[in-house]
Amino acid sequence: MVVSAEDIRSLVLEKLQPSLDAKGLSAEDVPDNFDLLTEGVIDSMGILQLIVEVEARFGITTDFEELDPENLTIIGPFCRHIAKKSLTVNR
Amino acid sequence: MGTAARLSRANAPRQGIHGGFLHSAERYAHRPAVEVRGTILTYDELRSRAMSLAASLQRATPSGGPPLTAVFAYRSATAYSGVLAALLSGHGYVPLNRTFPPDRTRTMLERSGCRSLIVDGESEPQLEAVLQLAKEPLLILLPERADTRSLRSRWSRHTILGASDLEPAGKFEEKPVLPDSIAYLLFTSGSTGIPKGVMVAHRNVAHLVSFMTARYGISEHDRFSQTFDMTFDLSAFDMFVAWERGACVCCPSEKTLLNPAKFIQDAKLTVWFSVPSVGVFMKRLGALKAGRFPTLRWSLFCGEPLPAEIAESWSSAAPKSVVENLYGPTELTIACCLYRWQEGKSEAECLRGVVPVGYPFAGMDVLVVDEELREVPPGEDGELLMAGPQVALGYWQDPERTATAFVVPPGRNQTYYRTGDRVRRPKETAPMCYVGRLDHQIKIQGHRVELGEVESLLRQEAGVEVAVAVGWPITPSGAGGIEAFVLGNQLEPRAILERLKRKLPAYAVPRRIHLLSELPLNPNGKIDRGQLAKLLADLPQF
Repeated sequence: MVVSAEDIRSLVLEKLQPSLDAKGLSAEDVPDNFDLLTEGVIDSMGILQLIVEVEARFGITTDFEELDPENLTIIGPFCRHIAKKSLTVNR
Repeated sequence: MGTAARLSRANAPRQGIHGGFLHSAERYAHRPAVEVRGTILTYDELRSRAMSLAASLQRATPSGGPPLTAVFAYRSATAYSGVLAALLSGHGYVPLNRTFPPDRTRTMLERSGCRSLIVDGESEPQLEAVLQLAKEPLLILLPERADTRSLRSRWSRHTILGASDLEPAGKFEEKPVLPDSIAYLLFTSGSTGIPKGVMVAHRNVAHLVSFMTARYGISEHDRFSQTFDMTFDLSAFDMFVAWERGACVCCPSEKTLLNPAKFIQDAKLTVWFSVPSVGVFMKRLGALKAGRFPTLRWSLFCGEPLPAEIAESWSSAAPKSVVENLYGPTELTIACCLYRWQEGKSEAECLRGVVPVGYPFAGMDVLVVDEELREVPPGEDGELLMAGPQVALGYWQDPERTATAFVVPPGRNQTYYRTGDRVRRPKETAPMCYVGRLDHQIKIQGHRVELGEVESLLRQEAGVEVAVAVGWPITPSGAGGIEAFVLGNQLEPRAILERLKRKLPAYAVPRRIHLLSELPLNPNGKIDRGQLAKLLADLPQF
């Protein structure tokens, strides 16, 4: 299945809504370079759970080998990486 | 040569755990000792920095305190020079961590009674909060700060020295170190809500270092990972085993640790040491591909149960390395048992898919006992007690807890540490296997968390009488985090969580608080944690 980065972003924000609410942030407020880890929205185990949920929803599996670990928890690059991989790996 | 000439190899103090570093600094002055944040420090450079700090500590530390110096620094050059400086000055080091809440750091500093601390640039913003209630005047070394005028006026009762105020390295005077002196004081989670300080002596670490350097044939060509924060005692393995033989410690950033595959390759690591959770992450992210890490000679895991599938995947990703599972609580100095993974043989020795903790280090003695501290027969489960040269000195200023945990069992004549871990006493030559905990301590990515501590703070912050914390989700090596339940409905979970974040390190803060009107009880009238776990299994994960 091919998935767009926007679809992934929507799902991620939907999943994280309670944590975002707690910070007083709405989905539109979240910029592309928002770091889910350093902003305290998610912990490292949360990232794995998030990946599991995104993959389950879209029926894809993603290899993160090429994604710079510094970008793994930044919402824009994270979503685009999964979208890009859905094009090449899962077709 | 300057300072180097003053410490010839013959008179370098070999008894302290920094003796190995000084010895290597003589032999390998221009080889790298530490790589951190893109900076490479040679042995000579690191020694100079450490001696300059140590000389400043010797000159200006207020008298009357314990022989301890705090190092408030995180994955920085100052963290390493600070640790060495504390030791060179004749003190033990007390690691503090800016990723912990300042309240917790302040408690640790107060409890330690340190009169001197070394602080790196990025930890400095927290000083205000940490020093708030400091009772005694302190010496604060800020080697990364040029201008200290504003700080001096703000904290006039403390002595503040910046980069230009430090003593030259040549002023350092060697201090003899007794084998029983504290090398480091490390705070771990305590069930009553107050962190307890484990006193580890130089001779404890020296035993581990000599055993490990020989076993792993460490040389000046080795390159060690430093995945552990200094507040985690396993970090001491990386530093002191590497420095003993002139090897380099390579310290990645916190975020790189989420997927350190590229770091392992780029830094050309030869010795890997982490909690198994890092391996679990990497496998999930697709980073453990066959042959990926050809430079690794040793792959070591410790801190939580090692799932067999991770040992297997790591072996294939690092085909030239030997995978070993290490075991040991802080009170037994880093690690005291080990098991070598051997494909084709080890699978059958695993218990419920978890790699055995194996065999004690040479010189360490194992005893598996029942509740009366009597040895159980082979094949039976019991609490693991260990004795030997790595048994720590006890808990800082806490004779009561020390007496409870460090015991002489009936019919024995040496002190054993009660690990609180349940193991299966092996039959004949079989390896020892980990079964579980006796109490409510859990491991979150290798960090010890007493659920009792979380519950006590929850009760306090929520103003309720009953609060329960459970490890959730269950992972092959422990728990992914904590979820909490409190009795009541007029509460504001988010506000409680915000307050907890100010008291607990991030890994120990519950991810959610669930309000219940009643708690499930088991037939004995105790809270049924199994039922609570079932509740969680039915809830969405976020």
